[in-house]
Amino acid sequence: MSIASSAARSSELRDVHETDRLGAYVNVMWDRRSYVSFVALQEIRRRQVNNVLGNLWHLLNPALTIGVYFLIFGLLIKTTRGVDNFLGFLTIGLFVYQFTQRSTITASKAVVSNRGLLQAIQFPRAILPVSSTVTELLAALPSFGVMILVVLSTGQGVSIRWLLFPLVIALQFVFNLGVGLFVARLTTHVRDTSQILPFVFRLLLYGSGVIFNVDSYAEGDATLEWLFRLNPMYCLLTLARWTILGGDLDIIVLFSAAIWAVAAFLFGFWWFRRAESSYGQQ
Amino acid sequence: MVSSDLSVEVRDLAVTYKVYEEASLDLSQLARRGFRSRRTVTVDALQGVSFDVHVGEAVGIVGSNGSGKSTLLRTIAGLQKRQSGTVLVRGSAHLLGVNAALQKSLSGYRNVTLGGLAMGMSRAEIDAAMPGIEEFSGLREAMGRPMNTYSSGMRARLAFSIATLQVPDILLIDEALAVGDKSFRKRSLARINEIREQANAVLMVTHNLKEIRETCSRTIWLDEGRIQADGPVDEVLDLYEQRDD
Repeated sequence: MSIASSAARSSELRDVHETDRLGAYVNVMWDRRSYVSFVALQEIRRRQVNNVLGNLWHLLNPALTIGVYFLIFGLLIKTTRGVDNFLGFLTIGLFVYQFTQRSTITASKAVVSNRGLLQAIQFPRAILPVSSTVTELLAALPSFGVMILVVLSTGQGVSIRWLLFPLVIALQFVFNLGVGLFVARLTTHVRDTSQILPFVFRLLLYGSGVIFNVDSYAEGDATLEWLFRLNPMYCLLTLARWTILGGDLDIIVLFSAAIWAVAAFLFGFWWFRRAESSYGQQ
Repeated sequence: MVSSDLSVEVRDLAVTYKVYEEASLDLSQLARRGFRSRRTVTVDALQGVSFDVHVGEAVGIVGSNGSGKSTLLRTIAGLQKRQSGTVLVRGSAHLLGVNAALQKSLSGYRNVTLGGLAMGMSRAEIDAAMPGIEEFSGLREAMGRPMNTYSSGMRARLAFSIATLQVPDILLIDEALAVGDKSFRKRSLARINEIREQANAVLMVTHNLKEIRETCSRTIWLDEGRIQADGPVDEVLDLYEQRDD
C-alpha cells in the first residue's frame, strides 16, 4: 500500500520496505498531503464545537490572554523597562511564543495517540507530527490577527516591513516541525515527556524575553548576550518584533534563527525516521 | 527467470522483536538502569521463512498462538520491520485486521475519510465509496455518531469496511472474518471473494480450518516462526490436525 495508486500498479516486484529509502519516503508523504489538511481542519473545528460561543473563541482566547498578561505585567508589576510600546511588545512575544509552545505539546502526543491508525495502515509516520504542526499553525492564525489589531490600537503605524512577519512565521514553522518530530518520538520512549514539556516552556517563557525585555539585562554582559543569541525562541521573538515594531536588528539573531530552524528540522526528521517501523507497536 | 507470475516473494525472512518494556518506561526506571544499557529481551518471531505466492493463489496460514502468523502478514504489509531477508510484492499489499480501531472520538464518516486518506485515496474517491460503505456496513444513521458509541460488532464492521475501501493487489487477512453477526459475516465473505477475484493474491490467517478449506488453494503451517509444511490444503491440514497425536 506504499506508493499508492501511482507507481504501485507497475508490474515490477518491489521491496515492501522501500520507504526505508528517503526519496520514496518523501514521495509518499507528498502523496498523503490531503490527509494532513483534512486532519488539521477537522481538529480546528472540533476544538470549539462544545462551547456556547463556538468559533468566536478563536479570537476571544488570544484577546483575553493578552488582557491578563497586560494587567499583571504592564500595569501591576510594570516590567515595561526598556520598551516603548509595551502592549505591542507583549502581544507579539506572547503569540509567537505560544505558537511554538502549543505546536510542541500537540506534536508530543501525535504518535502515541494514534495507535489504531498506526497498527492498521502503512503510511509514512512523519505525517502525524506534520499534521499536528500544521494544525497549530492554523490555530495560531487568529491570534496573529488579534495581534495586528492590538498593535494598531497602540498607535503603531503600518509599515512595509510587516510583510516580513509571515516569513518569520514560516521560519518558525520549520523550527516547530523539527522540534515536533523530535518530541513525537521522544514521547514513545519516555511517556514523562508530556509532563516535562510544560516546565521547559515555563523556563523559555522567562528566558526568552516573552513578557519583559531581556536586552536591558544583558547589556554589557557578553556571555549573557551570546546566550540569548543562541536561544532559538529569543531569536524568533526578536525577529517577529522587529518586523512589526521596527528598531535595530542584530543580524546574528537572524542567522541564529535560520540555522536553528534548518538544523532542528533536519535532525528531527532524521531521528524520527530512524524508529519508523516501531511506532504503534507494543 | 519465470517471475512474471509471482505476486509475493519471501526469502530467508527473519523478524525479531526486541522487547524493551519501552511503553511502560518512566524516568525513574530509565535513570536507575542508566540511559544506555537498556535491558532487552529478544524474541525470534520468524526465522528462515521462504516461499512464493503466484498470481491467483489464495494461501491459508495456520499455526498455534505465537507461531508468527500475524507477524508474517504484518511484515508483508510493510508494517513490521524485518531483521534480515527480503519481501518483494507486486503492487499494493494491504492488511485487513480486526484492530483497525481508528479515532474513537470521531464519527464513522470521519474515520472512513481518515483511513482512506492515510491509505492514499483522494477525497473524491472516498466520497464516491461512502454510500457503498453505509449500505455494506449496515451502520447507516450511526455513521454520523462518534465511534465510542458503537458496539464492538459495529466497530468491527466499520473497520472492515475501511480496510476494504480499496481493492489491493495482495490482500492479507488476519482473522477478520470472525467479526459481526451472521448476516454481516456472509456479506464480508462475499466482499472478500469479490476482492479475491480482483486481487492478485490472498494470504489469510485464521484458526477456522473450515474457512481455509472453503476459500484457499494452498496452506502454510507455521510453528515457532518456521515453516513446518507448505502445500495443498488437505495435505497440510491433515498434518496440522494430527500434530498433537
